[in-house]
Amino acid sequence: MRRVIFLLFYCSMLISGHAATTGWQTAKHLKAELVSEYQQVTPGQTVRLALHFVPDEHWHTYWQNPGDSGLATSLSWQLPEGVTAGDIQWPTPHAIAIPPLVNYGFEGNTVLLSDLSIAADYASDTIDIQLQADWLVCEEICIPAEAQFSLTLSVASNALLADEQSALFRQAQQQLPQPLNISGQFDTSGGAFSAVIDWQQPTDITVFFVAATELVDHAAKQQISQQGTQLLLQQPLNTYFSGVDDQIELVLVSADTAYSVQLTKSRQTAAEILVTEGQQSSTALWLILLMAAAGGLILNLMPCVFPVLSLKALSIAANSTQQAQQKRDALFYSAGVVLSFVTLALLLIMLRAAGAAIGWGFQLQSPYMVALLVYLLFALGLSLSGVVQFGLGLMNTGGALTAAKGGKGSFFTGVLAVVVASPCTAPFMGSALGYAVTQSAPVALLVFAALGLGMALPFLLLAFVPGFARLLPKPGAWMDTLKQVLAYPLYLSAVWLLWVYGRQAGVDAQALLLIGLVCVAAACWLWGRKQLAQAGRVGAGFALLLVLLALVLPVLAPKQAAPQVQSSDTQHWQPWSAATLKQLREQGKPVLVNMTADWCITCLVNERMALNTDSSKAALALYDVTYLKGDWTLRDSAITEYLRLYQRDGVPLYVLYWPGQPPQVLPQILTPDTLPQTLARLSSQP
Amino acid sequence: MKLRHLVLTASAALLSLGLSAAPQVGTAAPDFTVVDTKGNSHSLKDFAGKNVVLEWTNHDCPFVVKHYSGNMQALQSDLTGQDVVWLTVISSAPGKQGHVSPAKADELTASRDAAPTAVVFDESGVVGKAYDAKTTPHMYVIDKAGVLQYMGGIDSIPSAKVDDISKATPLFANAAKAVLAGGKPDPAVTKPYGCSIKY
Repeated sequence: MRRVIFLLFYCSMLISGHAATTGWQTAKHLKAELVSEYQQVTPGQTVRLALHFVPDEHWHTYWQNPGDSGLATSLSWQLPEGVTAGDIQWPTPHAIAIPPLVNYGFEGNTVLLSDLSIAADYASDTIDIQLQADWLVCEEICIPAEAQFSLTLSVASNALLADEQSALFRQAQQQLPQPLNISGQFDTSGGAFSAVIDWQQPTDITVFFVAATELVDHAAKQQISQQGTQLLLQQPLNTYFSGVDDQIELVLVSADTAYSVQLTKSRQTAAEILVTEGQQSSTALWLILLMAAAGGLILNLMPCVFPVLSLKALSIAANSTQQAQQKRDALFYSAGVVLSFVTLALLLIMLRAAGAAIGWGFQLQSPYMVALLVYLLFALGLSLSGVVQFGLGLMNTGGALTAAKGGKGSFFTGVLAVVVASPCTAPFMGSALGYAVTQSAPVALLVFAALGLGMALPFLLLAFVPGFARLLPKPGAWMDTLKQVLAYPLYLSAVWLLWVYGRQAGVDAQALLLIGLVCVAAACWLWGRKQLAQAGRVGAGFALLLVLLALVLPVLAPKQAAPQVQSSDTQHWQPWSAATLKQLREQGKPVLVNMTADWCITCLVNERMALNTDSSKAALALYDVTYLKGDWTLRDSAITEYLRLYQRDGVPLYVLYWPGQPPQVLPQILTPDTLPQTLARLSSQP
Repeated sequence: MKLRHLVLTASAALLSLGLSAAPQVGTAAPDFTVVDTKGNSHSLKDFAGKNVVLEWTNHDCPFVVKHYSGNMQALQSDLTGQDVVWLTVISSAPGKQGHVSPAKADELTASRDAAPTAVVFDESGVVGKAYDAKTTPHMYVIDKAGVLQYMGGIDSIPSAKVDDISKATPLFANAAKAVLAGGKPDPAVTKPYGCSIKY
């Protein structure tokens, strides 16, 4: 019946000139027709032709990249001279999963558009179009088919739309990805396809399709991340990848639209495009601020902040009788912390703008800065031990601030806490900093302020939440004991910094610094005697001289060329260099990179607890992982560059490279199981 | 106790999976043990000292049918005649298209005049996945030392048309020739094409 109607329709079309469709050709599980947008065309015109497929339900044909199996539909045109046909304009494909494989194709009504260009001097009054189409239609099984279509269009001085076909062409237009003229680059190093695209649209891309065949591992997880105005994509390479053109087409799909973008192959093989874990999609500013605040809060627990924390807790406990004083102290402390963070951020932004390859933690990369911190911590320890009283506020940063009570003292305690905390980039802080660095200056400052606020939060709570204050013990004689006990963490911190200094500047310089420490001790002792009115002006003057001497000594320290290299027979790591890493990755070997610094206690704890353990060593050996260690103790611009690649501005940074997988960034606090478990998981991924 | 056992089993499973990364040309081919249509067991290590060809197949797949128009049989007799072990692997899972009984497989071999060393079954798909085999046909060449030397398509024109065989570059045949001559195939990795393997 249908056929009869169709025949009648066909005849009626013949009468009115030439038909705009060939009519249906029926193959197994699919019927197809070739349709023209115009029933009458004119020389110089470009006409759209549509190959219209209607497969049976659940049957599909394939995209230009069919995926793991299948075959793209191909067209071969036979056209009169003066008429040419363009390539297929592919609709947005769908991923068709047949685990463990994935195909890209089309189900349901499918329209493949091609442009037909007619020369301006085309003379004949008809165009005979011959098309041979080859396709593969599959459900579970596949059926290849081919069909010939012939269509004749009449040529006249005016073009006539085939009205009854306009709905089909409208539908086809909607199914096409919208071409975007934006620049994008891709790279295939490191076992993954990576792309970075200028992306101004606020659209969330959910999936992408690469038109090049055997480029990506179609079934592998895609990483899509929007950072600022850049869209970053990553997917492991196909097992059968053997090369790719310099330009490829990419289709990006959002919830309601699809876009097509041309990507060019990145010329700089060194500048690897990376999408790190944990930054899957654009994160809202408030979430980043919250994370920054949480990071700041956790900073309080970092080993390098702890001595200062204990000092502050003590100072608040000392004032616990006076609520108003407490609140003021807490506010000043918070202001000190927040302002210091903001100042550091400003400094960082300025230095970055100046093009200096400098990173978070840079305070401790200068040996002189370390020396000053050693003095400071040692003097504070002496103060706690009772040798000298630095005012009544326990924490001060120098002579001028010694007398500062309450507000001023608290403010500078905050400042000191930040200075000491900076080398330990706690979890959360890393990503907040990475985010801040890529953002505009105001946003970066806001993030740093949030960090500071987070760090000050416990003290604010202590002062402003009555429940918190009630948890504090009553003041008494125990406080003095506690104060004296708390001197020892400070001494230990000083010893740690001394060790850092020794590693940086050598044993001779360290000896000079120790002499400086003796001077500081003597100066403090003299100052203390003056406070007790047991010494006069001469003593005070002498104390000042001693302090000056102590300050000059580290400057006189002999320069040491390079930190000594440790013996390599017992170590299970090799020194990091960008070239070694590149070479190992090209050889397809798994690599663990550990970026560390002697002054980073988190790094040292991680190494002792999680990396130098027997189980981690065994795991490294089992999976034949090469362990590369980079030392950032002295500023090393290559490492700074590397850190920035992972949106980090400080150590520690642990990256695990598994062949065929995107690089895996490990958490900043490692547990003994982290490495063996991550290795087991990575190696089990197909 | 039960939980602990479960955790141990899971980690053991993870570990064993961990050893099967994607195959790589130039490295040792993943070992396997499979049973053929006669019930004989074959392991890759049994064939040390011999060149081995693995051919993934599915008799109903049009791309397989294309090459069983004579091309595949010719390659099989040519190579097995030169002391190559040719294993035709069927990875279709039971109940899935392309899964056949041993008797049916033997009958297919006879009716198509095929000449593999053996037709083997990989119902669990373990071998196919270890080799990252995706299509039928899908070809591999392993040298006498057990090193994977070629993986990919049988030729260069992905189509289901018999006419295209003579027009295509015989990528697999060239690779096998190179390995038999003691050389390295170039290209060693090519695009496999065909129907998906019905794991």
